[in-house]
Amino acid sequence: MFTRFSALCGLIATILLPLATSAEPSQTLTVYTHPSFAAEWGPGPAVKTAFEARCECRLEYVVLGSGGDILQRLRLEGDRTPADLVLGLDTGTMEAARATGLLAPHHTDLAPLALPIEWHDPVFVPYDWGHFAFVYDTEQLPEPPHSLEALLNAPEDVKIIIQDPRTSTPGLGLLLWMRHVYGEQAPAKWAQLQKRIVTTTKSWSDGYFSLFMNGEAPMILSYSTSPAYHMAIDKTDRYQAARFDEGHYLQVEVAAVVAPSDNQALARTFLDFMLTADFQREIPLKNVMHPAIDLGDELPEVFARLIEPESTRYFQPQTVAQHRKDWVDEWLDAMTR
Amino acid sequence: MAAAIILLTLSGLSALLWQAPVLEVAELWQSRYLRGVVHFSIWQALLSVILSLLVALPVARALAQLRVFPGRSLLLRLMELSLVMPTIVAVSGLISVYGRQGWLTVWVQDWLPALGWNLYGINGIVLAHVFFNGPLAARILLQALEAVPQPQQRLASQLGLSSWWRWRALEWPAIRAVLPGLGALIFTLCFTSFAIVMTLGGGPSATTLEVAIYQALRFEFDFGRAALLAMVQLLICGSLWWGVLRKGLNTDLAPQRTFAQHQLFVTASRTSRLLYGLLLAGFVVFMLLPLLAVVTRGLPGLWSTEVFAPGSALLDATLRSLAIALPAGGVAVLVALLLLAAGHRSHRWFTRTSEAAGYLPLMVPPLVLGTGLFLLLRPQLGASNEGLLLVTVINGMMALPFVMQVLRGPLHSLDTPSRNLADQLGILGWYRWRWLHWPRMRRPLALGMAYGIGLSLGDFGVIALFGTPGKPTLPMLLYQQLGSYQIHAAAATGLWLVLLLLTVFAVFNLLGWSGSQRPRLFPLTPIPEPRHA
Repeated sequence: MFTRFSALCGLIATILLPLATSAEPSQTLTVYTHPSFAAEWGPGPAVKTAFEARCECRLEYVVLGSGGDILQRLRLEGDRTPADLVLGLDTGTMEAARATGLLAPHHTDLAPLALPIEWHDPVFVPYDWGHFAFVYDTEQLPEPPHSLEALLNAPEDVKIIIQDPRTSTPGLGLLLWMRHVYGEQAPAKWAQLQKRIVTTTKSWSDGYFSLFMNGEAPMILSYSTSPAYHMAIDKTDRYQAARFDEGHYLQVEVAAVVAPSDNQALARTFLDFMLTADFQREIPLKNVMHPAIDLGDELPEVFARLIEPESTRYFQPQTVAQHRKDWVDEWLDAMTR
Repeated sequence: MAAAIILLTLSGLSALLWQAPVLEVAELWQSRYLRGVVHFSIWQALLSVILSLLVALPVARALAQLRVFPGRSLLLRLMELSLVMPTIVAVSGLISVYGRQGWLTVWVQDWLPALGWNLYGINGIVLAHVFFNGPLAARILLQALEAVPQPQQRLASQLGLSSWWRWRALEWPAIRAVLPGLGALIFTLCFTSFAIVMTLGGGPSATTLEVAIYQALRFEFDFGRAALLAMVQLLICGSLWWGVLRKGLNTDLAPQRTFAQHQLFVTASRTSRLLYGLLLAGFVVFMLLPLLAVVTRGLPGLWSTEVFAPGSALLDATLRSLAIALPAGGVAVLVALLLLAAGHRSHRWFTRTSEAAGYLPLMVPPLVLGTGLFLLLRPQLGASNEGLLLVTVINGMMALPFVMQVLRGPLHSLDTPSRNLADQLGILGWYRWRWLHWPRMRRPLALGMAYGIGLSLGDFGVIALFGTPGKPTLPMLLYQQLGSYQIHAAAATGLWLVLLLLTVFAVFNLLGWSGSQRPRLFPLTPIPEPRHA
């Protein structure tokens, strides 16, 4: 029975396979990315359709766990990597990615960019950005603190959930934020902040799902854009980001061409496409980040209701790469003393 | 087979070491941070073992005494489930009950404000570890208690032994044999615990070695350090297991069952039965409350019909998960049988090595093993299907320690008379297996399969490395939803995963029971298994 069935399958396959392959476009662009981009609810599917319509090629996502995983996979595969393009690295992983020597210059015109900072990097092209912020539950905390300093001195019941800078991107973001604001004072300020912290989770998801949404603390370290999702998709104004007077730390997500790829020209076409409205309009609600270019009227209405930081806090990626280990060690020291 | 596992582990580790430029071995004992990490890992694991056993002992005793009550079988299935529950689902359930806004916390604060209950810290870590390991421990201890030969039980009952003397004379000897292995198992599980420790630990002072390994591997790309830390972990847990296996090799976790089980001997008095009942009720509440929280959170999301529409993400992920988990269960059972069979027949040293090999996957972080094997095999891995095959094999290996635990006793339990008789009659090979072993192995095999499948269903570490998240398995789908604000969908996926796990255990339990009316060759063999197996 089984053999007859498999023979039948084989027969069908031999009939259908040539049909399928004859319709294939000649080139395939392989993009390493992470799930929040490529998932069925992310911007990935719409971007794929739009790009394939104009390039007469196939766009294929290889979806890895996170930005760190993309870099990890690239390093592990080295020159033999099948990737043509990586999309989903950020300002925290950029320098390590550059150091692999596996990425090539982009040649993209960066003029359309609308970031809170100047951007002239020859290798990485930004596709979205966001500020780190504390998101709070308006039902538990009607009057959130308005600055980092106020948070440090907040009353006993203002508790926060943060992520660990050793294992999480926003966690590292807060570490850099504190460092940028307080400089050498940062460790002492961390010791002060510790009284506010309920717990330090491994990842953003652990904290958001298990703790914050369970009402464990009124505030969690997240993105200034998080409320956009709750307002637009969940249709609730309950969760808002607190605007801090010291300014907010910036995260930029980037893409780059892979040097060993045979499809570099196609990959560069994709990077150019990335800075057009056809790509960028998928970003705000599907990736829940700010688009990298000015979308004008196409920017969803809820984005007008997000906080606008007074200033942007940002370290150059090289500086972060240079000091990260020391700063994390200092943080550990301050938190375990 | 044992050699293959050892080779697999060593090659995974050495692939990492080979990639590392310099090894800073001295850093291991010079760094205050690392010393603290090792110290904390050991301390929390020890505490978790002690408390898990303290909970498990009375529960197992109560279950051994109260052998018939409605829902007993379901309770046992739930106890099996706790081990394979995806951590993030269980942790979210625990937080709903014991967290700052938890159901129980609110109540405790009203009645016992002086207690100052705070989940986050060593409290939470140990509570979660007891939640995961207590039921498992009780389950294994119950097996040991029920294996006390019937004549002894009858005698004890006729002598009217008091509870204390019963414990001294019958139960303690039965349990003592199982305790070292059980303790080592729980210790290893807690020692290598990761997400629980970080979420509930409260801050970086609660860091286990596994966190440091993850940090080195994923954030610092320091393969050498990761491999080094993995070896420290291997050394600590490995020496513990070596000691246990050396001392208690013959003390199977599910000892001999050669005596027929007749009428059950209910020796407990009415008051002690009442006490046992209350104790069990408390235990059930402890286990069920977090699960209930998972259900209430996930049910609204599962309710809508589109979740199960053909081709929906959830349905696809379920099929994909089963396609990996079912073979992984098979691999686990097969390898466990081979290891145990090899261990049973040969030299002591060989026996010990082959069994110790079975526990290796427990001590080496899957991430380290996975990354190492990735380095070795990636160039050869063409299609993603081969990657999935590797996931199946590694998942199977990870389930080995548990499957071996379940199978060891029954496989070695064949009593000498039966064996001699079979030898005299020349019953060998297939027939020996079919008529001698199969009747007593069928139900442990079913449980072993269920563990293998369950552990693989819940796996997130290995699949994340080799699978393509574009085609997610259930745990991957869960994490992807979590990562994109899909809180309700994620809660639904979590509940669905738990229900699926429960179904797997229930189905295999049924498979283990059915068809037991076949004719038997030996009058000695028709032993009704204890109700739990």
